[in-house]
Amino acid sequence: MVTFKHYSTEKHLICKFSGRLDTQNCLSLSEEINNKLQELKQGQGEKDKPGEKIEFDMTEVTYISSSFIRICLTTFNQCQKENFAIINCDPFLKKTFKIAGLDDLLPVS
Amino acid sequence: MKEDMIKKADELLEKALFAAAEFQQFDQEQTDRIVENVFKAGFNNRVKLAKMAHEETGIGDWQHKVMKNVTATLMVYDNIKNEKTVGIISQNEITGITEIAQPLGPIFAVTPVTNPTSTVLYKTLICLKTRNPILISAHRGAEKSCVETARICYEAALEAGAPEDCIQIIPAGSREFTQMIMSHPKIALILATGGMGLVKAAYSSGNPAIGVGPGNVPVFIDVSADIPFAVSNIINSKTFDNGTICASEQSVIIERQIEKKVIAEFEKQKCYFLTPEEIKKVESIAISPDSGSMSPFIVGQSASIIAKRAGIDIPEGTKILMAKLDGIGKAYPLSVEVLAPVLAFYSTKDYHKAIKVCIDLNFLGGIGHSVGIYANDEKRILEFSKLMNAGRILVNTPTSQGAVGGIYNTLPTSFTLGCGTGGKNITTENITARHLINIQRICRRKPNDKYFSFDLAKYFDESLDADIIMNEYNKNH
Repeated sequence: MVTFKHYSTEKHLICKFSGRLDTQNCLSLSEEINNKLQELKQGQGEKDKPGEKIEFDMTEVTYISSSFIRICLTTFNQCQKENFAIINCDPFLKKTFKIAGLDDLLPVS
Repeated sequence: MKEDMIKKADELLEKALFAAAEFQQFDQEQTDRIVENVFKAGFNNRVKLAKMAHEETGIGDWQHKVMKNVTATLMVYDNIKNEKTVGIISQNEITGITEIAQPLGPIFAVTPVTNPTSTVLYKTLICLKTRNPILISAHRGAEKSCVETARICYEAALEAGAPEDCIQIIPAGSREFTQMIMSHPKIALILATGGMGLVKAAYSSGNPAIGVGPGNVPVFIDVSADIPFAVSNIINSKTFDNGTICASEQSVIIERQIEKKVIAEFEKQKCYFLTPEEIKKVESIAISPDSGSMSPFIVGQSASIIAKRAGIDIPEGTKILMAKLDGIGKAYPLSVEVLAPVLAFYSTKDYHKAIKVCIDLNFLGGIGHSVGIYANDEKRILEFSKLMNAGRILVNTPTSQGAVGGIYNTLPTSFTLGCGTGGKNITTENITARHLINIQRICRRKPNDKYFSFDLAKYFDESLDADIIMNEYNKNH
């Protein structure tokens, strides 16, 4: 459902999702992402928010639930504003984020 | 305090918007599965919810509320179940136009105290059928039953795979909070059913609204009518849930030549004609002297309770209090809408006078709503229909059940009855699922032969007038 690619030298984390991100699947996803963010925070020591660039790669995603949209928003709020992005959405997902009003807050491409 | 309300409104709308985003990914089959599950859950709880609404509001009759819940679930579902509301909904090769249905987004639904559970069931079904999340404002007088109805629907929707927060119930709060939600920029549409104040607030919110207002339904019994049939239908309709349906009969109008027969029939069927003194007593409790509109304390009460409160004795088993009036307007308080078994009665010297009384009553607070006629003379039915300003002209039909549709006619079953511009509404139709979609039209190139074969230079020649141009334009080349 999610694989992490962490480029520690470039301070860059990519979360690559796949399949249907429905409410059920999002239950474990939320925890996995949260753990990863905590890991990053601890690695950075005293900083409140991870200073790394974090991207949600949607290349292989076919469906997103409102729970996943909430995960995006929570992650965005945990990061430094300019460091979070949702990338590689197909046009249908792009529209879904648009309807949710998320692309007003953060970059969705 | 205001900041808290803004925060709460934003939270509700954020949830609704996320639900809308998820919902728009559903196909017709997934959508229909949700609607079917919610219909079944609502239907299976029809008696429990009816009893709950009756107990909480003290309005109407629980058995009739069961029938309202049946109409709001079974009849509404039957009416919308096969309708296409997702993706391509029509394709016309001749016109080159393909229609695509898109959901609207979060819909704010306001519910009346008179039909709380049935309105929640109906509005929820048509919103889900069109993939729109619904935010339901519980009426303060029916909060528990609105909350329970929404809970039952929401659980059934989730069970069938609907998005989280596709149904949200807003407990009865302040008027300010309701207005805040109405005018929230993330609301796509307001479905307002209630009094004129509420409908006006919805239309003034800055968001699109389908608001429907009050009625004041006149029913004309023509000399050609089957009188016992007409009287029996009127009684069944006016006493249904103690007259709480806005399409219920408010006055009966007849020609004097059949007065004796009609009065005898009403009396035979257990209706009581009030004396002039008794009319005054009923007026004093039924109509607020300040506003001139009905008092909420008599809404949905039985004839015997109203008579008791007015301090008059009526025969046991009386179904309707009949008030024979000579005029219309402020000086005749019972000529306005009364959602209780009180019926104004007008006997006029001839047909034309009767129709003029109908016009006056129709325009007294009920423009665009519904009217009724009992007749077996097609010419008179047509003449009457053309003279009324009503979205529904119900012929030989009880107006309460007739206007709602699906029982006595083929109108779409609805608990939100459009009243047209006369009632300050956008439509005269019975509001149903198809009013809750944005229809996009793919317009393929189909050049207008008349336009392209016309010599455009002629438009610039001022000596050619409209007749000459039209003649040229319509020339069959």
